[in-house]
Amino acid sequence: MEPIYLDFAATTPVREEVRAAMASCLADTFGNPSSIHRWGRVADDALEEARAELASALGARPREILFVRGGTESDNLALLGWCRAQLDLGHAPTLAVSAVEHPAVLGAAKGAEREGARVTTLAVSPAGALDVEAADRALANGPALASIMWVNNETGMLLPLPELVELAARRSALVHTDAAQAVGKVPVDVRDVAVDLLSATGHKIYGPKGTGLLFVREGTPLAPLLHGGGQERGLRPGTEDVSGAVGLATALRLAVEEQRAEAERLTVLRDRLAALLRGSIEGVRINAVEATRAPHVLSVGFLGIEDGSALVMALDIDGVAVSGGSACSSGASQSSHVIRALYGPDDRRATVRFSFGRGSDAAGVERAARATADIVGKMREA
Amino acid sequence: MSRVLVAMSGGVDSSVAAALLVEAGHEVVGVTMKTFCYSETPGHGKTCCGLDGITDAKRVAHALGIPHYVFDVEKDFARDVIDDFVSEYARGRTPNPCVRCNGNTKFRDLMARGRALGCDKVASGHYVRVEHATRGSHLRRGLDPAKDQAYFLWGLPASLVPRLLFPVGELTKDEVRARARALGLVTADKPESQEICFVPTGDYRDLLEKRLGTHPALEPGPIVRLDGEVVGRHDGYAGFTVGQRRGLGGGFPEPLFVLEIRPEVRQVVVGTRDDLLQDEVVVAEANWLDEPPAPGDAVHVQLRYRARPVSATVEESDDALRLALAEPTAAITPGQSAVVFDGDRLRGGGRIVRAGTRVGVAGE
Repeated sequence: MEPIYLDFAATTPVREEVRAAMASCLADTFGNPSSIHRWGRVADDALEEARAELASALGARPREILFVRGGTESDNLALLGWCRAQLDLGHAPTLAVSAVEHPAVLGAAKGAEREGARVTTLAVSPAGALDVEAADRALANGPALASIMWVNNETGMLLPLPELVELAARRSALVHTDAAQAVGKVPVDVRDVAVDLLSATGHKIYGPKGTGLLFVREGTPLAPLLHGGGQERGLRPGTEDVSGAVGLATALRLAVEEQRAEAERLTVLRDRLAALLRGSIEGVRINAVEATRAPHVLSVGFLGIEDGSALVMALDIDGVAVSGGSACSSGASQSSHVIRALYGPDDRRATVRFSFGRGSDAAGVERAARATADIVGKMREA
Repeated sequence: MSRVLVAMSGGVDSSVAAALLVEAGHEVVGVTMKTFCYSETPGHGKTCCGLDGITDAKRVAHALGIPHYVFDVEKDFARDVIDDFVSEYARGRTPNPCVRCNGNTKFRDLMARGRALGCDKVASGHYVRVEHATRGSHLRRGLDPAKDQAYFLWGLPASLVPRLLFPVGELTKDEVRARARALGLVTADKPESQEICFVPTGDYRDLLEKRLGTHPALEPGPIVRLDGEVVGRHDGYAGFTVGQRRGLGGGFPEPLFVLEIRPEVRQVVVGTRDDLLQDEVVVAEANWLDEPPAPGDAVHVQLRYRARPVSATVEESDDALRLALAEPTAAITPGQSAVVFDGDRLRGGGRIVRAGTRVGVAGE
C-alpha cells in the first residue's frame, strides 16, 4: 500500500509553482545582488521583488523584511539580536518566553541569559491561556521583549498573542512571535496583530528548506549575529540566496491566498481523525483540545502507553508517517517539553502528532485511524 | 516470512546480518541503540558515541531498503551497565560490561520494543550460532574460532533464545567482509571496535573519578607480597586487574604479577607467575540457557574471552556455583565471567567472585 504522509508540521514537499519559480531563477539569475553591473541588477531586482511579495503577504513594508536562512536563525536573530542591541546601549534586557516555545526560541533565550539578559518563562494552560500576571511583572522593568509563538508546533494551539501585544504596549515592551506554524494556516497580518518581530520559514509552507524571514518593525533595535558585508541592512550579512528568496516568496504568497479554503478543508480532516480515534480507542486525549487550534495539527495522547517513539515507528512500518510530539533531534525519546508544560511533569502518555496538508484526504485519515487503533491495541496487550 | 528486528551497530557484522536476513526473505526492521553520550553536560555538543555508528547503520539500512530507527536506551544503559562497571571496580573487581549489556539491556530491550513493532524475532551480528529444534533452542560457538562471541552471551534470559537469529555465526570474518564488499555496503572495511563503548579512550580512570568522586579505590595504597612484605605503592587499586604486570614498578629479581586486590585495606597483592595458578573458582549470579548443571557434572569453563576452555567438575551448584578445574589456571579474575560450555554448546555462566587452590591437590 502507498505510504501516507501525515507529518506536514515537520516539513512539506516543495510545491510545483515554487519549484518552477526557483528553477527559472537558478537558470537565469546567477548574479550577485550587490554587484554594480547588469547581472547584479537582475539578481537584485528578483530579490527585492521577493521581499515586496513577502511584505505584502504579511501586511508589512518591504524594508521590514529580512531574509535569513531558516526559522531557527530567524528566532535567534530576533531574541539574541535584540538583547545584544540592548546590552550595547548599556541596558539590562528582559526576555519573557512561553514554556511551549520551539527549542530555537528556548535555546536563544538561554544564550541571551548567558550574555546577561534576565529570562522569565511563562506558563501556558491546556486551554491556551498564558500566565498574564507573570507576563506583566516580567515586562514591567526596563527594556523587555516577550517571545510568544503564534501557533504551537506540537499541539496546534494558538497562544493569546493579541492580548499579549496589548499588554506589552502598556509596558512599552516589544513582542516577537515565531509564526512558522501560523503562516498559511491562520490569518497572519502584522497590522492586525502588531508584533515587533516575526519569524517564518519556507519549508513549512511548501517552500524550500534553508529559507526564512524575520519581520522587523521599523525602529526595532537589533544587532547582527554574524559579521560580514552589508547585506540585509548589515543584520544578516552574506551573499543572498536569490532563488531561495524567490521560492520563499512564491510559497508564502500562495499559502496566504489559499489559507481560508485550506483551513476549512483541514479542519474537517483533523476533526474526522479525532472522532475516529476516540471512537475506536479507549483512553485517548486530544491535547490542547480546549484551546483554539490551527487546523493542520492533531496531537493525541494515549493512556497506558509510555513509549511514543515505538508507536511512531510501528505506524511507519504500517505506512503512516507521523511524529511523536515534534520531529526534532536524533533519537531522543524524552517526553516533550510542551506536553510536560501543559499537563505536568508526570504525564506519561505516549504522544503522537498527526499533521495535515495538501494531498491529505479522508481516505488517508481513515487508514491512519485504523492503523493507530490496531497498533495501540497490540501495544496495550503486550 | 516473519518480521525480524535486527540490531545494527553500524559495524560490518551487523550490516551483513541485516543483508542476509533481507536475502532470506524476512521483513527486516533495523535499529541502533543509543547507549551513551560522551558529553554528560546537557547542551554541550551532544556528541554521542553511537552517533557515527547510527549514521553508518542508517546508510546501510537505506541501501538495503529497510526502515531504520534509533532506540534511546541511555537511562537503562547507565543504570544497568555503567553503574555496575563503576561499582565493580570500586569493589576491586574487573567487570565485563559487554556481558552485562547483552544480558541485561540489549536483548531484553530489543525484544520488548520489537514486540511493539510487530517483530517476533530479534537478530544481531554476533558470531554465534543458534539451533532451533523442537526440543528447544541452543546457542553454539560461532563457526569462525577467531571471532566466536558465545562467551559474551551467557547472561541472556533463556526465554529469549528461541526468538534469536545470528546470521553471521555461520560465516568467517573474511566471508562477512567479502559479502559486505560484494553488496557495496559502506561499512565493508570499517575497522573492528576494540574499546569499551563508553570508555572510548581506553582509560576508564576518568570515568571512575567522575562517578565515584573521592573513593578508596582511587587513593594510594601499598603493593604487598603474599607474606605481607610491602614492595611498593600504587595510586588506586581500581587501576589493577589480576594477572597484570604493568604499573608495579621494576627492580624485582623476577617478574611480578597482580594476584589479588584487597579493597578493604587498599592492598594490591603481587607474586610470581606460579602464584597466579589456581584450580577452583566460585561463581555467582549464574544464568542457564538450558538445564543447570548438577554436582558431579563434567563441563568446560572459559574464564577469559580469549582463553582456552578448561575441563572442570561441578562441586556445588546451589546459590553459588563452585567448579574444580582439571588443571591449575592463571589469573582467574573476580568480576570476569566464567562461561560454561558443553563442547561448543553454550550452557550458561556466571560472574567470578572468588578463586582458590584446592587443598592437597595443588602442586601434585
